[in-house]
Parts: sequence; structure tokens; C-alpha cells
Amino acid sequence: MSDTTLVQPRSEFLRGVSMRDAGTLIGLVVILAVFGALVPGFFAERNLINILQQSSINACLALGMTLVIISGGIDLSVGPTAALSAVISASMLVAGIPFPLAIAAGFAIGLGCGLVNGILVAYVGLQPFIVTLGTLSTYRALALIYTGGNPVLGLPAGFRAVFNGSLFGLPLAVVIVAGVAFVAWIVLKKTPFGEYLLAVGGNEEAAYIAGVPIARTKIAAYMISGLLAALAAQILIGRLGAAEPILGNLWELDAIAAAAIGGASLMGGKGSIVGTILGAVILGAMRNGLTLMNVQSFYQLLATGLIILAAMLIDRVTRGRG
Amino acid sequence: MSARLQFDGISKVFPAVRALDDVSFSVGAGEIHGLLGENGAGKSTLLRILSGVYRPTAGSVLIDGRPVTLANPVAARAAGIAMIHQELQQVPRLSVAQNMFLGHPVTRGGIFVARREQQRRAAKALAAMDPSIDPAAPLGSLKVAQRQIVEIARALLDRARIVAMDEPTSSLTPSEFQRLAQVIKGLARDGVAVVYVSHKLDEVFGICQRATIMRDGAVIDSVDLKRVSEKAVVAMMVGRELAQEQHRSYASSDVMLSVRGLASATKVRDVSFDLHRGEVLGIAGLVGSGRTELLRLLAGADRATAGTMAIDGKPMRFATPRDAIAAGIGLVPEERKREGIVPLRSITSNMALASMGVFTPRGMIDHTSLKRAAADKMKRVNLRPFLLDRPIRLFSGGNQQKAIIGRWLAAGSRILLFDEPTRGIDVGAKAEIYHLIEELAAEGHAVVVVSSELPEVIRLADRVLVMRDGTIAAELQSGDITEEAIAAHAIPQTQTPAAWQARQ
Repeated sequence: MSDTTLVQPRSEFLRGVSMRDAGTLIGLVVILAVFGALVPGFFAERNLINILQQSSINACLALGMTLVIISGGIDLSVGPTAALSAVISASMLVAGIPFPLAIAAGFAIGLGCGLVNGILVAYVGLQPFIVTLGTLSTYRALALIYTGGNPVLGLPAGFRAVFNGSLFGLPLAVVIVAGVAFVAWIVLKKTPFGEYLLAVGGNEEAAYIAGVPIARTKIAAYMISGLLAALAAQILIGRLGAAEPILGNLWELDAIAAAAIGGASLMGGKGSIVGTILGAVILGAMRNGLTLMNVQSFYQLLATGLIILAAMLIDRVTRGRG
Repeated sequence: MSARLQFDGISKVFPAVRALDDVSFSVGAGEIHGLLGENGAGKSTLLRILSGVYRPTAGSVLIDGRPVTLANPVAARAAGIAMIHQELQQVPRLSVAQNMFLGHPVTRGGIFVARREQQRRAAKALAAMDPSIDPAAPLGSLKVAQRQIVEIARALLDRARIVAMDEPTSSLTPSEFQRLAQVIKGLARDGVAVVYVSHKLDEVFGICQRATIMRDGAVIDSVDLKRVSEKAVVAMMVGRELAQEQHRSYASSDVMLSVRGLASATKVRDVSFDLHRGEVLGIAGLVGSGRTELLRLLAGADRATAGTMAIDGKPMRFATPRDAIAAGIGLVPEERKREGIVPLRSITSNMALASMGVFTPRGMIDHTSLKRAAADKMKRVNLRPFLLDRPIRLFSGGNQQKAIIGRWLAAGSRILLFDEPTRGIDVGAKAEIYHLIEELAAEGHAVVVVSSELPEVIRLADRVLVMRDGTIAAELQSGDITEEAIAAHAIPQTQTPAAWQARQ
């Protein structure tokens, strides 16, 4: 083993996170070029903004998912967390509670859901997949029970205006998610928490011996994921003007896909904020392009699946021997 | 003696590096042939060619004089070559017999696994080596030494004519090694050619007739071990003479760490000792005597169930390693890959992990001061190659170990606990680590070294505690530290008069 390590010094050294991000970027450029050639008006400013807007919710979830995946976990409960946050904020808004308070309550729900996931993973020691599979059903059920299965309709116009506004010519949702991405990037690159996430996911036992606060790090990752799910929920109900308890069905899969395309390893210890954002835009651009081409949704699903597999295959091949 | 196995002009070129350069030597049937060299000398690459993982760029492998093509591991196995890896490739939850027939089970009609028949054949193969191994027992319940033997028995079942062993004894006790040595000699008597890779020269001299020494991908020489000295072999491996160094003591009389009646839930009971500034305290004892568990208690990795600890007279209680680190204690663990390094992260990140607070003045990591500190500490421990942003997994074991030591220097630890500090580390890096430990002591650090290698304990320690059955059986002062004295206290006395009387 030691012999081979000396054998490939340079290539492996250069192939850092940024190289992987460059690969994801190339993938995005290729997909944009293909659709640009096939779909008239694909590169229109209006459509490009559309793509960003359509990608923003998935990007928001995927950012939280990336942090959880880096820590060696997974969060399958993001969709139901968003739904629970949405219906509670919405019913408070409908009841006339001022919207900063209603939004804050929605965020608190997101943090709370993440806290429960985190405690079950970090202190009880259950496997993240199983924990969040359980809370996926639990949170969804709570949202359904709370609303009796009915959508919460008639959100006040003032609230809707907040999330439907625009800034610098971009939809506010896009600006917010871009801001969140920037903060996430800072957190991962420049804070001890970021180092701890990478260490806990990369080798939990070694991180423990080196004094990393394992439980706190994991719990924080799940809480951030819950918070971002709640943020995505607020953006969505602002756009729709209603909150359905079944909102966010299968969101977790898109979020995992974006993170994985962007270079996150489900083994933990590896992942990139830039890559995840690019991954979310890849998925968004593809759906947008296929819709404009009037491709049936069955084929869109097929295309999504193939993109994920292709990304993983390219990843595998360029990385060479494991 | 006909050459059962012959390497003829083997070269292997990877994109950047020539890993093997015209390697030729041969091993006769019934010969146990040592393969020696530092990490990076090319031993593992050669073994991978032998086991069909790599194809040579030039040259060929001959078995009984006929060139063979080893296109993949299956072909190598079919050619009668068996590899026994350093990290055993077994499935702990399956039974011994199931593991021995993994991949090619005995079947009834090609559909059902003939479990009884497998167990019968497994028992037959094991009988000559270690009859105490139950073929039906889950493999995970066996000791490492027994698992090695299972692996060898499996090679026999495959009718291997060539067995290559990569560091088979790195985690065995001396008596376990003796047993394994008998098994290996038995293989040789049956006409198998054995290639034996080990860092432990005394073992190679004890078990092998001849050895080939490699350095930088080339064969330096194939020697008859009866006609050369260990010192000469080391010089060939390293390419220079390593001075045999004497122990130096920097111990003072100030007590830094004081331990009284310490016990753990699992193994450690009633351990008391003092550790002084500038002292290197050796802890010897058999594997399983509670040495590692004791270090884990001291480092806060496990919780003590009884007893007290005090640092500079102040009582301490550790719930996690974080508490111990804050109190100035750092653990350099035995299993580097599992407990030491975060493989994908850089040297710098691995170093900084225990001292993030130092580099985070206002919530954000100060990368300038972090880089400066990393350069400083890694120069101090002499990291090679000096690439601080390179993932730590691409470094040799010795350099990984240096980075972990640097971690505790960066954290300002004053008490350093080393568990098997040179396990899996080659001769050159070993000497560097010894020097480093001595320098640390000279600077006023207090050091504890747990080691199974008695020469290492004798070389480093000012004082030695010998552990047995979870407690300290003896304390040896500098003048009395000999291999015999340590062994005498380390081995459990099953027939002490007291125990005998108690049974009557």
C-alpha cells in the first residue's frame, strides 16, 4: 500500500476539491450547450432566471443535505420537515399573526425537527438513514394530522410579496439562496465547525481522539438541514400562496442527487458547496429544457436518473482506483 | 533445490514513477524467503504483481521454471499463489469454515452449500496447525493470531505452492508468533515456497533462510541470513549505517501526572503511578494486559469507574478526550488509520484538529497563522515530502505518525501518550520517532510509551511499568530494565502458590 502512495504524487495532489468543482461546471456547460442548441429561446434572460428560480428550492435543501452528508449522515426527512414548517407558518399567518413571527415559528419548527434527528443520531447512536426514515414518516404524519389533510389557503398578500419580490433584477428567492450558499461556503472553508464536519465524516474515531465535539457537530448539521428545509418551505408557500401538508414529497431525493453530482461522498468526509449549487442548477436546467421541449414527464424522470448515474460514473473513472 | 518461484527482470512503471526496476530473485520449494526494505522500497508492488493485482511493465514471473501470466487475482490463485495480507481479508460474522471456502464453496449438486463437508475439510486443514480452532465458530470470535492461521489453512486448501505473507505478525505477541512460525515452517516442509515480508528483523532472521533486500524499487542483494549481521541488513535497507544509540534520560523529580487506584469498566484495575516532567515512562506487558485501555483512560477516551488523576497536583476528571486535551494530554494511538488520521484531509488539517481554538481568534480560522504553525511543526518533526496541503493518506506510516505528533505540539500538550509508536513504521522513520520522543522529554514534556517491542521500551524508557491482567505487576528502574525482567513479570503466573491453595 505504501509503495503505491509514492507512485502517484502529483495527479492526486492537484485533484483537490476545486478540480472536482471544475468537472461539475463542465457538466453544467455541456448540458446548457445541448439545450441551447435544441431549444430556441433557452438562453433568453427570462428563461435563465427561470432556471435559477426553479433550482433555488432544491439548492436550498441540498446545501443542508451537503453538510449532513459530509458529517457522514443523511437527512431523508427534509421534505416532511418543510411541510410541517409550512403548514404551521401558514396557519399562523391565516390566523392574523404578524408574518415575522410566523416565519420565525416556521424556522423554529425546522430547527426542532433537525434537533430531534441529531439527538437520535449523535446521542442515541442510531443510524442516520433509519432515524430520518422514521422521522420522514413522523413529520409528514404530524403535518397531515395538524391540517386534517387539507391545504392551508389564503396567505396574506404582504407575506407573499416578501418572497415574490426581486433584488438586482433577480427573484428574491434566488438572492436568498445565493446568500445562504455563500454563508455555507464560509462555514465549510473558514470555521472550526467546517473542519469538524469534515473530520467527523472522514474518520469519527480519529476525530474523537483529537478532541472534536462529535455530538455537537452532528446535531448542528441536522439542525442546519432542518432550518434550510424550513426556509425552502417559506419560499414555496410565498410563491404558491398556500401550504399543503403533502408539500415537499421526494424533495430529499433531489437534494441528495444535487449533493452527489456536486461531489459529496455518501461515505462522509467529502463534499463541496460550489459543487452542490452547480448540481442543483444542472438538475434544474435539465428539467427546464426538457419541459420546453415538451418531453413527457416519464422521460424527464429517466433523464434525471441517467444524469445522476453518469455523474457518478465520471466521478469513479476520473478518480481511478479507490 | 529447484526454483519454485522466480522473478525475472520485473519492472513496473507508473505514470510518474518507476516503482520496480529490474527485480530478479528466486525462491526455492520449501524455502522461507524474507523480503526486506523500507516503506516505498517496492515490496508491496512486487507482491501485488505476484497476486495478479498489477501487471509488470517488463519481465516475468516463473513458477517451476515456466513463465506464468498473472492477469488477475483469480489467475494468480489458480497458478497456486496465495496471499496472506497484513489486514486480513475475512468476513468476521461468517464461520471459520465459511471463510475458508469463501468464493468457492463445497456444494451439493451445485446448488446447496455442503456446510458439514466444509467444516470437516476445514477441521482437517486446521488440525495440524491449531486444533483449538473450531471451524463452526464465527471468525470474529478468534484472536488475530488464530485468524492468521485460518488464512494459512485456507491457502493450503487451495493447494497453494507459493504463499506470500505481508507483515503477518504486526499484531502478535511473542508466543503467538512462535506458534505461527511453527505453522510457516510446516508449510515449508511440505514444499511450499514462502515469501515473508516483515519489518521485524529478528523475526526474519529467526524464520527465514535467505532474504532479498530492496531499496527504491531495486534489489540491493539476496543474502544468506546465516552469513550476515542484522546491522549489515539494516544498512542495506536504509542505504547508510544507523548508529546504535544509547538511552538518555531527562527525567526530573517534579510530578506532572499522578494516578491513584484508576480502574475502567472493562480491563484496568487499581493502577497507581506518578509521571515526572521530562520522563519517558515505558509500559510493557502482553497484548490484552490492559495497556491500551489504560492509555485511553488517561486520554479521556474512556471513562474511569474508580480512582483519581491529578495534573500538577490539581485533580482532574475527563468525560471526553476534549477535556484531557484541555488539561494538556495528547494520545498518539496505536491504530493510526482507525484512530489517528482523517485520511482525505491535508496534513495541515490533521495537525490543527486538536487546536482549532488556537487558530480561530474571532470565529473564523486564521489561515495565515495556521499555515505558519503547520510549517513550523512539520519542519520540527521532519515531515517528508514537505507537502502540507497533500491528503495525509498519501504519506507513509512514519510521516503520518509525525503529523499526529505535530498535532499535539500545536495543541501545546505537555503529557504525550504513545501507543505502539513505531508499529508498521520502517527502520529509518523509527529512529526519527525515537529522537523526537527524546527531544520532547528534554524540553520538559512527560511521555508515556506503550510498546510490545521490548528493545524499543529499553531504548526509550527511564522507568518501566509492567502490566498484567489490567494492573501494574512490577515497576523496573533504569538499571533493571532488561527483556528478561520484563518478560518475567508480564507472563501470567497461573500456578502461583496462592491460587493453588485457593483451589484446594
